[in-house]
Amino acid sequence: MFGRMNRRYDTVVVGGGPAGMGAALGALDAGAGKVLVLERDGEAGGILNQCIHAGFGLQYFREELTGPEYAERFLAQVIDRDIDVMPSSYVTGLAVDSEGTKQVRVLNERAGLASIEAASVVLAMGCRERTRGSIRIPGTRPAGVLTAGLAQKLVNQKGYLPGKRVAILGSGDIGLIMARRLTLEGAEVVGVFELMPYSNGLNRNVVQCLDDYDIPMHLSTTVVEIHGRDRLEAITVAPVDAHLQPQLDKARKVPCDTLLLSIGLIPDNELARQIGIQLDPVTGGPVVSSTLETSLPGVFACGNVLHVHDVVDYVTAESLRAGGFAGEWSREIRRPKDSIQLVPGNNVRYCVPHTLSPDREHTVFMRVKQRVEPARLRVGGLMEKTLRFVIPAEMISLKIQPEMLDRFHGDRLTIDIDPA
Amino acid sequence: MSTENYVCIACPIGCPLELVHEGDQIVDVSGNKCVRGAKYARQEFTDPRRTFSTTVPIEGSNWARLPVKLAAPVPKDRILEAAQAVHQLRVQAPIRMGEVLARDLLGLDGVNVVATRSLGRA
Repeated sequence: MFGRMNRRYDTVVVGGGPAGMGAALGALDAGAGKVLVLERDGEAGGILNQCIHAGFGLQYFREELTGPEYAERFLAQVIDRDIDVMPSSYVTGLAVDSEGTKQVRVLNERAGLASIEAASVVLAMGCRERTRGSIRIPGTRPAGVLTAGLAQKLVNQKGYLPGKRVAILGSGDIGLIMARRLTLEGAEVVGVFELMPYSNGLNRNVVQCLDDYDIPMHLSTTVVEIHGRDRLEAITVAPVDAHLQPQLDKARKVPCDTLLLSIGLIPDNELARQIGIQLDPVTGGPVVSSTLETSLPGVFACGNVLHVHDVVDYVTAESLRAGGFAGEWSREIRRPKDSIQLVPGNNVRYCVPHTLSPDREHTVFMRVKQRVEPARLRVGGLMEKTLRFVIPAEMISLKIQPEMLDRFHGDRLTIDIDPA
Repeated sequence: MSTENYVCIACPIGCPLELVHEGDQIVDVSGNKCVRGAKYARQEFTDPRRTFSTTVPIEGSNWARLPVKLAAPVPKDRILEAAQAVHQLRVQAPIRMGEVLARDLLGLDGVNVVATRSLGRA
């Protein structure tokens, strides 16, 4: 299989999920001749393949699709347009020679270790889940404590039910969706425990995944101990005070054989870190210019490896753009260097990209630190916009027009989101 | 007159809806940003329904389960019964996305079980 493949591509994409497929199509649209997608798993599609619930594609396809349907529609385009997809392939390194050509080192189960040449590379490795180790829950280390996404893969693709009596820590959408999923499969979900005083998931998921099945959500509550020697037997939960500290005098024991953790996602950036790409400590993803180019020239990033998105439609939009710039790069088209630094101001946790150029329209994604309702978003003195509400769990997407930046002569543009 | 409060599940916005009724008669729906919200509130008041996704065992494929969805919603109080009926199905690879695996589940018109991905032979 490997022997018949090219060893020289215009654009190589690392990761075959929605970001990687979008980037590959974007590169082709921008005129890249040969594009290769390297996928670690046995098939392309990424995490969409295990997200069997509906709710994808409302913006991009204008209809509600399940995850596998969204993935298959993209994969069909990728195959139609002669993009090479190499599954079961793990990228172990990336080197740049004196001419700027990239050498992508890839480990494939059949071909062994190989090197592929590329003019440009797109990083689209996605993200991974935070684990018990990330939040250091005290107690024993029995079987039955796993991330919500792993449980999703076990149930939806492998056909294993991880337990019969399930507690869920964290109210992110994956946790809520797994509460419903496990109920449909015959397990009892005893409750969702959320540290914060509000749910981190969408309201509609609280309604259709918890309320419909009378699954209780306990806000301002967390897991303080794990019990059980070989298998999980119970958890101790406790309410938290205003400083999020558990009130142990009010703790109670909840018997269960499974604890799902839905406590956040982190960009999977081992490769970027290893090759010395500059990372943003807030997003956990690379620092990128307005062409979504990382600190390594000709290496671009998009999707959840850049920053964690809430809906796949945004990932697709961003990836088509990143792939477009990577495709241009492979044709030796060089955009002018960005001249404006984008600075997160009041109540803005981060914005991506990190710099802008006045020569074209930009889409800026950002997240707030705190809930504000209603909110006023200000971009320097250039524009102002009122938003019904902003919450940390919902990403804000903002278009910035070139006419606006034309009038701007500074080199730092601050975004503030204050109460309106 | 009395009111019922719902959270719309038609899209990720999740509008808070208020439905005013006089007995069985709906008087007013407010809080919705689009027509789907009004439709949802009326449906939720008269005959609440849901669709869901689940999987069925598949033989001859690389994966043990084939993901499926319902083509039309079932009454909310029959979700678990419908899920159990879907779980009785058995399929064989290859399957094409969109293939109908069972029609009119539980005798409900249009409630077809549809494959949501293609799975080839292993």
